[in-house]
Amino acid sequence: MKEVIENIVREKGRAKEALIPILQAIQNEFNYLPEEAMKYLCAITDIRAADISGVAGFYSQFRFTPAGKHRVKVCTGTACHVKGAEHVYDSFKRNLKIAPGKDTDESRTYTIEKVSCLGCCTLAPVVQVDETTYGHVASSDAKSVIDDFHSKGKKLPARDSSINGRYRYQGEIRIGLGSCCIASGSDDVRKAVEDVVIKNKLNVNLKHVGCIGMCHQVPLVEIIPENGVPHTYAKLLPEDAARVIEKHFSPPNLLTRFARSFENFIRGIQDDSSWEGVERYSVDVREKQVQAFLGDQVPIATEHRGILDPVDIDEYISLGGFEGLKKALEMKPADVIEEILKSGLKGRGGAGFPTGEKWHAVYDQESDEKFLICNGDEGDPGAFMDRMLLESYPYRIIEGMLIAAHATGATRGFFYIRAEYPLAVVRIREALDRCREKGIPGSKFSFDISVKEGAGAFVCGEESALIASMEGERGFPRIRPPYPAESGLWGKPTLINNTETFAQVPYILYHGQRSFSSIGSAGSKGSKVFALAGKINRGGLIEVPMGISIRQIVEDIGGGVQGGKKLKAVQVGGPSGGCVPHFLADKEVDFESLGEAGAMMGSGGLVVLDETDCMVDIARYFLSFTQHESCGKCTFCRAGTRRMLDIMEMLTQGRASEKQLEELQELGHWISRGSLCGLGKTAPNPVLSTLRYFREEYLAHINGRCPAGKCDALIRYSVGDECIGCTICAQECPDDAIEFRPHRKHEIDQELCSKCDICREACPEGAISIS
Amino acid sequence: MIKLRIDNREVRAEKGMSILQCAASAGIEIPAMCTNPDLDHFTSCMICVVKEGSGKNLLPACSTRVWEGMDIVTNDREVMDARKIALELLLSEHAGDCEAPCRLACPAFMDIPAMNRLIAEGNLPEAMKVVSEHIALPAVLGRICHAPCENACKRKVIDQAVSICLLKRYAADMCERIPKRTSKVLSKRTAIIGSGPAGLSAAFYLLRHDIGADLFDMNREAGGMLRYGTSNEELDMSVLDREIEIIESMGAVFNQGREIDKSGLEKICRDYDAVVLACGKSSNGLAGTGNIPDNIYIAGNPDRPSRHAVRSVAQGREAAIKISGSGNPQDERKRFNSVLGRLGEEECAEYLKEGSNDNRQVPAGGTASGFNREEAEKEAARCLHCDCRKAGGCMLRDYSDSYSAVKKRFLYTGRKSVKKVIQHGVAVYEPGKCIKCGICVRLTAKYGAEPGFTFIGKGFDVEIGVPFSGSLRDALGGIAAKVTDACPTGALSGIKNDTV
Repeated sequence: MKEVIENIVREKGRAKEALIPILQAIQNEFNYLPEEAMKYLCAITDIRAADISGVAGFYSQFRFTPAGKHRVKVCTGTACHVKGAEHVYDSFKRNLKIAPGKDTDESRTYTIEKVSCLGCCTLAPVVQVDETTYGHVASSDAKSVIDDFHSKGKKLPARDSSINGRYRYQGEIRIGLGSCCIASGSDDVRKAVEDVVIKNKLNVNLKHVGCIGMCHQVPLVEIIPENGVPHTYAKLLPEDAARVIEKHFSPPNLLTRFARSFENFIRGIQDDSSWEGVERYSVDVREKQVQAFLGDQVPIATEHRGILDPVDIDEYISLGGFEGLKKALEMKPADVIEEILKSGLKGRGGAGFPTGEKWHAVYDQESDEKFLICNGDEGDPGAFMDRMLLESYPYRIIEGMLIAAHATGATRGFFYIRAEYPLAVVRIREALDRCREKGIPGSKFSFDISVKEGAGAFVCGEESALIASMEGERGFPRIRPPYPAESGLWGKPTLINNTETFAQVPYILYHGQRSFSSIGSAGSKGSKVFALAGKINRGGLIEVPMGISIRQIVEDIGGGVQGGKKLKAVQVGGPSGGCVPHFLADKEVDFESLGEAGAMMGSGGLVVLDETDCMVDIARYFLSFTQHESCGKCTFCRAGTRRMLDIMEMLTQGRASEKQLEELQELGHWISRGSLCGLGKTAPNPVLSTLRYFREEYLAHINGRCPAGKCDALIRYSVGDECIGCTICAQECPDDAIEFRPHRKHEIDQELCSKCDICREACPEGAISIS
Repeated sequence: MIKLRIDNREVRAEKGMSILQCAASAGIEIPAMCTNPDLDHFTSCMICVVKEGSGKNLLPACSTRVWEGMDIVTNDREVMDARKIALELLLSEHAGDCEAPCRLACPAFMDIPAMNRLIAEGNLPEAMKVVSEHIALPAVLGRICHAPCENACKRKVIDQAVSICLLKRYAADMCERIPKRTSKVLSKRTAIIGSGPAGLSAAFYLLRHDIGADLFDMNREAGGMLRYGTSNEELDMSVLDREIEIIESMGAVFNQGREIDKSGLEKICRDYDAVVLACGKSSNGLAGTGNIPDNIYIAGNPDRPSRHAVRSVAQGREAAIKISGSGNPQDERKRFNSVLGRLGEEECAEYLKEGSNDNRQVPAGGTASGFNREEAEKEAARCLHCDCRKAGGCMLRDYSDSYSAVKKRFLYTGRKSVKKVIQHGVAVYEPGKCIKCGICVRLTAKYGAEPGFTFIGKGFDVEIGVPFSGSLRDALGGIAAKVTDACPTGALSGIKNDTV
């Protein structure tokens, strides 16, 4: 053990700022942090035991007990939550035989954890077992998912790298490789496609592109034949990739073609890999509404989406990449700042502070060192814009940072990327390497950027906490002023901008501030990237002009509410935001009007809620997220959010009184006003906004009723006359609450029922209802 | 120099000063708990919030630096409400008693745990001092008190209550009490009507304040109901005689066999600076229904005279304290009190760390004979130290008191449970009383006490702890006293060697 730690220390350094990377490395090695290891670390470095212990305990990434061989991650992001993730979690825990209060089973095979968002909101509910992601998982599917995971592991044949043969160029195949594409199996599709291409000796350009945004249709494969109409294939299964490709590209050699179709025939007979339960993706669904989905969008941060290979620097350059930087370098720093100021760009991290002013503040500081940080510590449940940008447009963000560095005089740059985004870290590192190899086109400008990984603390999205974390401390926010622009990282002037903000900067310089400021509303200029999810037909990552209405987003881009249900509200801005009710759906989406509606831009999650969603439950859900993520430093946030959550829990159990509703409102008011940082100040928003628009639902809960039928304590399951006595429910029930009675109507023992929803999902007749 | 306004006063400040420092230099007090002169600000407790200008945000005064033209309000309704809420939130995560339940149950508010600890140490004179602070007739009450304290004793839920009444009797019987006759010229003269327990107690405390006490009583001998309503089996009258003697030798003048009627009272009122009506129900008849003269003090509630001697003794003392002008005797009882309530099973073990495991002692010679020394010390050592070690110097208590915070306002669910970490000769750490201000963490870091303290975990469940489960002795190094003194609450307090 000692040797391992010595090696890690040699690589990462002995100073406090290296503490988090060191702990991450130790955990990678041992799969938890053994106390012995931490003690030894203390002995051989200058880091105090108090710091090691304090930091290790602060970040949720670190664990102090050994984890199981496999990790089961149940996503409890917003989209998954509204689709029953809690029940799924319970069901997995039960099926994996993990004791209450524990996260690992006795044989240490599985460790289960809730994660705040896997970024696959359109596949909700989502469960990840190691690297395999399962979508649309119902609680009754737990067993089949585990079985499937066990049976997996067959490898595809090794790849032949000689894709480009000497035959005629036949066209291009683009495969989306954003995180949710990969989560839905696009990597397998990629392997399958490559396999087909090699076997058939096709002469096509195989291209990996970043996120296209159409996450509701992943994995996406786009086929552009040299002579012919481009086709987009959605929800493609690896085993069907061959058939799709063969439809467009014939093998140049007749014999190969013949052999291939025979093989396919044989495989079709043998193949029995799909299983029922979890919905895998149907093949050959031609996306007819692509135009509708993309039509109203304005790609600025996501320019060239679906075309750009994320890490191909030459392609980025050929599409106008680094032109903005070139222009900037020809300008004086003050003029660059002026351009950004005039563009009206506001920080996309949520609060909407004018970017130009922030830059100016850093520019104004006299200092031999100035730092610049790209804040990629996105942690909202149900928002994954930053990740998509980092994964798909790394050069654009780097370019934005370089422009900012030139404008502010920064001497060193950092990416701070959330630990849960491994692919983003890989892509950014790769892109940085390419930049270093190639040099910044056309300039002597020298500036280096390094990558820091977060360790699982939502509060570190707050800039002062982020700085503390980079310095190797607990992620405690500090009072501002002094703002980071004045005294930031290691006390030096520091510019911190959100990922999306940086991604919009090159466009402004390249196309001029006017072309940016002509888009958007009076107070909010340009475009904004949103993660559209929830009860919506076409979810995904969208970039829309500021000022677009919620209705346009939901109906035109999103294709309306799923299942023809009625829109109830749209939750905007995640745990810092609020619920905009259906009757305000014509409200413009920009910083100002969302604020008026009691919501907030936040980092840009848009979760569509329908009539079956309980607003009290939604508010409780968000509050429980922020309460859990509170750093615990200031009283209002630490204890205040806990007490609000107490009341919310009593409400969902029908145990609260009207007086407590007033207390809830009062607490929310004081927490908003009194908390130290943005996390606490905005934590009450989901509660306050739902109290404002859906008070009658709160009152119903006080009277012991959950109108949407979501709150477990206030509902009961019962079997209706449709029951045919098939006994499936009785067999599936984990609580033995349903007596096995073939051919007779079944009944649910209310005493035993844990309201896990499995029977309702399992019933083939739809006979089980909630009242 | 920066110019700003605080509470409508023009104030000048140096650049870089915090609002708190600036206000202090102008003589304006802002409450604060998480600050320490030795350390940088931390901004945790949030009771220092003030309002600035038209901005609706509250600013923590401890860490917000002043700027030119600030307009600060430190004391309007809103600011007070915000601080009260902050305190109530802190109290909602607080687990511990300020005063011990026995003391709260005692009508005389005697500091029972302090007496117990002194008896256990064998320090009888100090124990007696503690008793005399609140009880004038300890030997009498040590025999006939109905002892509500023992009913409230936390030890009762573990095994049996501490035998408080007998311990008090032991202290009173064994300690030689030399009455101190007031040597000074009496500042006032008081007449006390009735020489029962209330009157005797009033006289005792008046004389301690150098105020003369003349008692008037219709019976032949002093003692009131103690003598005429109590049997010899219950109370050996020689015990009563002895305690009356003490009061007499302090300077009390007994006028026995003097029944005072209305006109007699009027005359007494004119002759004396103050009059205490301590004759139970008869006080009512004497005081009449009209305007009661300012200088008449009624001991207790004459409508519902007490049948419990200890209550009368307490009421007599209250009248005396009022007359002496040394504060409102109700104040110490009405002070803010965090009340823990019933102990959970695991908490019993935590409390037992502070008390001996012995069973309740029974005097070898029967209850009537009282404890011998060994028995008394053994019994006293059973006391669990429920009272907070910082009951007198806790900022959370002081501010909760001055902002009228309500302990249970936000306690919707169960409270946190009590834990006690005891390191003899170093410190006692009670996480349930911690407000997470981190002063101990920062002090140990600053003064190089290794490994020091650290924050363990985060959010609502964050606790202060010693890294890698080290001991308090390790954590505090050589600066234990500095750190325990700096802790604003009873979470960290010093403890002497090998005592409880």
